[in-house]
Amino acid sequence: MSWDKIGIEDKLLSWHEIMEAEEYVYTVGVAGEEFFNGLKHKKIIGGKCPKCGRIYVPARLYCEECFVKNDFVEVTTKPYIDTYTVVYKDDEGNKLEKPQVIALIRFEATHGGLLAYVEGEVNIGKEVEILEYKIPLIVRVK
Amino acid sequence: MKTNLYFRRVAVIGAGLTLFRRRMLETPQELAWEAVRKALDEAGLELKDIDCVVIGSAPDAFDGVHMKGEYLAHGSGGVRKMVSRVFVGGATGVMVPNTAWYHVASGLCEKVLAVAEEKMSPARPHPQSVFRYIWDPITEKPLNPNLIWIFAMEMHRYMYVNKITKEDIALVSVKNKKNALNNPYAQAAANITVDDVLKSEVLVWPVQLLDTSPVSDGAAAMVIVSEDVARRYTDTPVWIEGVGWTLDNTEWTGRELAYPRYLEHAARMAYKMAGIERPNKEIDVIEPYDPFDYKELHHIEGLMIARRGEAPKLLKEGVFDIDGDIPSSPSGGLLGVGNPIAAAGLMKTISIYWQLKGTAGRMQVKKPVHTGLAQAWGDLMQASTVIVMRN
Repeated sequence: MSWDKIGIEDKLLSWHEIMEAEEYVYTVGVAGEEFFNGLKHKKIIGGKCPKCGRIYVPARLYCEECFVKNDFVEVTTKPYIDTYTVVYKDDEGNKLEKPQVIALIRFEATHGGLLAYVEGEVNIGKEVEILEYKIPLIVRVK
Repeated sequence: MKTNLYFRRVAVIGAGLTLFRRRMLETPQELAWEAVRKALDEAGLELKDIDCVVIGSAPDAFDGVHMKGEYLAHGSGGVRKMVSRVFVGGATGVMVPNTAWYHVASGLCEKVLAVAEEKMSPARPHPQSVFRYIWDPITEKPLNPNLIWIFAMEMHRYMYVNKITKEDIALVSVKNKKNALNNPYAQAAANITVDDVLKSEVLVWPVQLLDTSPVSDGAAAMVIVSEDVARRYTDTPVWIEGVGWTLDNTEWTGRELAYPRYLEHAARMAYKMAGIERPNKEIDVIEPYDPFDYKELHHIEGLMIARRGEAPKLLKEGVFDIDGDIPSSPSGGLLGVGNPIAAAGLMKTISIYWQLKGTAGRMQVKKPVHTGLAQAWGDLMQASTVIVMRN
């Protein structure tokens, strides 16, 4: 149950950040591991509630409404742009060379969403194609 | 003598724990969900029945996620419900059921989930480092202190004032780690001797490695309800009869460290509410907070179960053993079970609840028990929370 593995393979399963402590090593969790392993195989994994049928993206261990354990399923429904924004400066206030488009991607008939860098003519409601399966996703407008 | 305050009776009808381990695979939210799921199952309730959720976690910085009440809300079943979060450092674990108690006692809610979660593992190099900014920035911070430092000073003062040896104190660690062998959730259960403690690595003298509890991740949850609901769902409710909490001055350098007066105040509040006049005669089983072995003795005295300086003598006589007159930390405590800060305090409350319900399994104390007490302590050695329960 407990986990103590350090190596190249777990790169996707943990990431580093700096706060008051020198650093933090976060665990992606049980559902997170399913989700990230799915990304490695170019799949979007969701968590499906066996009671109400709701599918969470990214995968969630439990249904927050029914409070039962979810099944992990591959999400194959159409990804589309729910909303987007255009970023002109980085987080230190420096002007970006090229404005960055960031979109919230949802999958039809599921709950939740993923952030993505977008290529192509961005518009709300447009279907997208996933170019790279990582965090954030890189997608192209179809 | 009971207080003449008017409040509704409040009962516990379900509880759940996760394993206490270092570096759990689950996220904090997943840990919370697991504990809540078990608590709901034991109570026979579903999430839709719950009115309100009280979430407890010590400083956010342990998990490395800011606003942890909000972060934990969906894992704790708090989505679109009344949610509040309490945090008084290490004392949080018992503040959670205390807070749930007044939600029900006041008449505001019928069924409350009390949830506590802590992940101590993410912070590197050690969770101690998240305490960098709790000190006085001018007089203390320049020494770059950590908490073990000041606990070592408190321990030394306690030993000096009451003429207590390291051997006397090490017995607590021996007892609790042994009790933990009976606890299926425990992380640091072991059969050790006083010698092992005295030979373990010195961290900050006089605190040695086996005087301390381990770094742990874990979650705990309780279902706390009004009398009407309790009668409908169970034949063996455990009643919350007294609660107490206090905060002393952050200026710890101004206090007599040999005695936890803040705990005495919290205990008096809880005893008055529960109608307890002679705690050492009327309380059958206790779970005093034991992140360090001397703290259990310190707290037993603050709870007025033993006179000042007498706890080590009673310990040696076996009064606090699992088959003694007043079993103390039959769960194994933080020394034996582990120390995910807020979850550890709630684990102690749950341990007393299971003892009084008679479902503590191999942890069940030998004698029949009717009144139990759990206690937690924290912040800059200044906060204490107490809960008294009866079956």
